[in-house]
Amino acid sequence: MKPLLIEEIKIKPFSFKIERGKIKEFVMAIGDPNPIYYDVKNARKKGYRDIPVPPTFPTAIEMWGGLDFETLIALLGLDPLKVLHGGQEYRYLGELYAGDTVTAFPKLMSAFEKRNLRFFTIGITYKNSNGERVLYSESTIIERGGSIK
Amino acid sequence: MTELKPLKKPEITHSQLVRYAGASGDFNPIHTVVPIGEAAGLGGVIAHGMLVMGMAGEALADWFPRKNLRKFKVRFNKMTRPGEKLTIEGKAIGETMEGNEKRLIGEVSVKNDAGELKLKGEFQVKF
Repeated sequence: MKPLLIEEIKIKPFSFKIERGKIKEFVMAIGDPNPIYYDVKNARKKGYRDIPVPPTFPTAIEMWGGLDFETLIALLGLDPLKVLHGGQEYRYLGELYAGDTVTAFPKLMSAFEKRNLRFFTIGITYKNSNGERVLYSESTIIERGGSIK
Repeated sequence: MTELKPLKKPEITHSQLVRYAGASGDFNPIHTVVPIGEAAGLGGVIAHGMLVMGMAGEALADWFPRKNLRKFKVRFNKMTRPGEKLTIEGKAIGETMEGNEKRLIGEVSVKNDAGELKLKGEFQVKF
């Protein structure tokens, strides 16, 4: 495997409109019954502007918005059968609701190899339609070198 | 140090992984197609790490108002397979100030019935 120069990997920004139905589908898949995600009346009663995004919803924004699994492995030159998700971080900088459109600015932050494993970190800054930073997401992707133990 | 009420989730099923794939848009076939999970050396399909983190996120929005969550960071430990039952546990471990905002720092973990650690993480919520 040739060394990866992180400066050479550019990931295009993408935009995504957050919809109530997508949020509902997402929490139903998790089995999360929190009423604030299902009916805007419940959400407003709790002081939310609309249906808020669940804490891990940004993954759906990424996968459906332009940075899906196939795109990622092609971009980083990974073996799809050997890719694992090592870690994930979210920093919630502002509020994000159904009806909002966000633009994601992804960046490959680091790429290195250690003990037959390759580690990649992708950071994504999200801005709302007013240009305010509302969220930062950081994913660690691991590619296994050898066979799994 | 305050323990938070554990959240017990029902057994994870293969259909749930298919459903989560569609909902999240993560169609990596190691989560949904058994022969591919076997070819990958995993002995079948494994759950999306993000599904397990999603369950931890469910617990966080149960324990605290959703809008107070400021930071949520996890590491994935062991893989999760259909048939496993997960429990999310958490505790408050301290406080911090971020600018003028007072925040509570907590730890969250997800384990199966045998006590195997699937995910470990930390979070911060506004007081």
